[in-house]
Amino acid sequence: MTIYLDQLCPLAAQIHRRLMPGLLTLLLVLGSILAPLASSFAADKLVVYSGRAERLIKPVFDAFTAKTGIQVDLLSSGTTELVNRLKAEGDRTPADLLLTNDAGSLELARGAGLLRPLNMREIERAIPPQFRAADNSWVGISGRFWIIVYNTTMVKPDQLSSLLDLAQPQWKDKIAIPNSGSEYLQAGVSVIRASHGDERTKKFLEGLRDNAGSQVYQKSSQIVDAVAKGQVALGIVNHYYVYRHLATQPTAPLAVLMPDQKDGAMGAIMNVTGIGITKSSTHVENAKLLIEFLIAQAGQKMFADLDKEYPLHPEVKANPALVDRKSFRAALVPLTRLAELREPTLTLIEQVGLR
Amino acid sequence: MTTLRQQLASPLQLAALATAGLILLPLGYVTILALSADPAVWSRLWATRIPELLFNTITLAGAVAALTVILGVSTAWLVTRFDFPGRRLWEAALILPLAMPTYVLAYVYTYLLGFGGPAERLWQLWAGPQARILSPHSFWGTTLVMALDTFPFVYLLTRSALLSLNVSFEEVSRVCGVSRLMTLWRVTLPLMRPSIAAGVALVILYVVSDFGAVSLLRYQTLTYAVFQQMTGRSDNTAASILSVLLVVLALLFLVTERWFRQRSRFYQTAGRYRPPQRVRCSWLGTASITALMSLIVAVSFGIPAYLLVTWSLSPEAQAILDSRFYGFIWNSALLAAAAATAGVIVGLPLAYLASRRPTALTIGCLQAAYAGYVLPGPVAALAVLVLCLKIAPVLYGTALLLVIAYVIHFLPAGLQSLEPALQQISPNLEEAARTLGLGVRETWRRVTLPLIRNGFVVAWVLMFLQTMKELPATLLLRPVGFDTLAIRVWLEASEEYFQLAAPAALLIVLLSLPALFLLVSKDWRAA
Repeated sequence: MTIYLDQLCPLAAQIHRRLMPGLLTLLLVLGSILAPLASSFAADKLVVYSGRAERLIKPVFDAFTAKTGIQVDLLSSGTTELVNRLKAEGDRTPADLLLTNDAGSLELARGAGLLRPLNMREIERAIPPQFRAADNSWVGISGRFWIIVYNTTMVKPDQLSSLLDLAQPQWKDKIAIPNSGSEYLQAGVSVIRASHGDERTKKFLEGLRDNAGSQVYQKSSQIVDAVAKGQVALGIVNHYYVYRHLATQPTAPLAVLMPDQKDGAMGAIMNVTGIGITKSSTHVENAKLLIEFLIAQAGQKMFADLDKEYPLHPEVKANPALVDRKSFRAALVPLTRLAELREPTLTLIEQVGLR
Repeated sequence: MTTLRQQLASPLQLAALATAGLILLPLGYVTILALSADPAVWSRLWATRIPELLFNTITLAGAVAALTVILGVSTAWLVTRFDFPGRRLWEAALILPLAMPTYVLAYVYTYLLGFGGPAERLWQLWAGPQARILSPHSFWGTTLVMALDTFPFVYLLTRSALLSLNVSFEEVSRVCGVSRLMTLWRVTLPLMRPSIAAGVALVILYVVSDFGAVSLLRYQTLTYAVFQQMTGRSDNTAASILSVLLVVLALLFLVTERWFRQRSRFYQTAGRYRPPQRVRCSWLGTASITALMSLIVAVSFGIPAYLLVTWSLSPEAQAILDSRFYGFIWNSALLAAAAATAGVIVGLPLAYLASRRPTALTIGCLQAAYAGYVLPGPVAALAVLVLCLKIAPVLYGTALLLVIAYVIHFLPAGLQSLEPALQQISPNLEEAARTLGLGVRETWRRVTLPLIRNGFVVAWVLMFLQTMKELPATLLLRPVGFDTLAIRVWLEASEEYFQLAAPAALLIVLLSLPALFLLVSKDWRAA
């Protein structure tokens, strides 16, 4: 160390003379990178971390901006990634709201103290209690079901009735599944574990793994595409991907099978898209306006029409193309339990070696 | 009197040490994180994912290496030993695939070879409506895409070797009555072995650390698994374990390659060099060579580039060319400029010391800087991320973190042009300037800097363009809403919105062409 101490002064001079111009350039460049970020702290702007595909959510936010003049900056990424990011950023997070496609992730974020409890009459009036956190720190804004999509030229609907049937050897190389990182697969497996126990679930996952082979997809839209083209006969996806596909290609040979509806079966697996205000948000009033907008009848109707999801507001009707919500029942596992079920589910998924 | 070198050495030494630290600390921290992980996590990973991932990674690297040797050596042989119309054109066209990032080629091939895609429809015309072709989402599909993208490495190095090879060895063999084919097999190929091995080494490192293609083609390799673990889990233990395995795999491979290369060195100790004579082709030869060349260039660059252009011109793609899109260009340019500038500043002391004061310490620092070579993007991102979370969480989600990851990742590329640039200036020049009365600072400004300027510019441009194409680290570390061109390509392509991904992809390819030119021009002239 002593060798260098007496050289520190010349070092400073050296740095000054030789590196300063370069460092200044670097700072300038960095400054201009960070400038747009700083502007996100401006008053009439909300930063939303969104775990949903951008194209599914942006139009709704655009409508909000048109109505209120409040800009919405979207960071679209994986849900777990965003929760990790919120945790790491702590108080310094630029995010005002967290929107995800999985109640379990929201509940985990709530448990980690990332979200702010809300006391809003609008929420209690619009959204039934089973679709939001006990303290309203997250609120469901639309519902989706994990369904089986099948190619009508390759499968008859009476060939199967339950998600668990997909593990049967007759479907070898005929099914497509989402990859194990997707939160709704994790949520789905959690519900199956809660309903059928770990042993049964493990057998199911092993069968699923063998049947799917390399047909493991990152995006649900690709699964629907593969089924529509006949590349595979069946797939597991959230229901709205099927209807979105049918909306653009009405002649596609696709149909939805609402699984596990027989007597004594567990019921269809439901999850919600939900949103919560971050604990450290400095734009709470505006953020509340956004939530109000999303759960009000008009906002709910937009979700129903645009995304083909089931609105959670009891007085808003789902899109008529969808299976009537009254004609099937949902699994009884409460959404808030998805958080505690997550970790053992991940272990099970890893043990089985799903991709 | 202290010399210029002595005066500069110690502060520069500190700077070099700091750089080495900047690079080694994150890596070291990931290693510690992995080694101190709960043994249960290790055993679970060994029991489930690791065997499959290792097998997938190694077999893919092996198959791609084999295919690139076939493609690269045969094309190099044809352009150096035969003369046919358009030879110079093909000679240059064969390196074009290097301008195409793997994720761009992979996304074009998901369309081309995809279910119901053009290749399959063509095949069905001939083989009947039920016929299927190779799926891009399979082992061989991934192999094909990766090989088409990387064979120019083997081609380039083999070509230089063939051009600089003394033809008298072959003539001796022919005079001794060995046939043309056996001469090729027993004399020429063994002589070229070091160059081919070097090319294959590049290819394998590229394949092992690739994220773009394997993620779009859904082929599970270690690099892809690191990314998935980082985005799908809330703790990074499993990701660090896989990262460490990946780095060990790459290092093992590099060491083996060095060892082989050292055992097979060839020197020409006497005699005069004569360039080989090119065999003039008959019209039949010309036709078949041209057909082969067209095929290779078409599938590896021509058809993909054509598709990118048509997709970019489609109305869907034109509709997204708004101010938002220009924002992505701006973001890419800013990040890349910051990373390139930082890389040059950080790399200069390292390169300067290693060439002027090659002590064990300075060489060690330089070697450390080359560690980025064996660090795939997700691993560099993970390393920077975990260390940042530990010591300065304030930086999380800022562009600075991303720039650090880039510097770690791409410093080797920059050093490769900085180092020779400095080595080529004799210290005598600086010393002469000093004896003529110029101060230390003036000597730098008026002698050293102008002399190394070219190397500087090349290093900057290379790092700029590499950063611009970079995908996984950007995906993992980018600040809020900060999308770059590469991110847009990947996001759109992973949902198979081919048209929407095309403009950004095309722009990346176009911008990569000058970098390619820079990279190649040195070898080209030398050969």
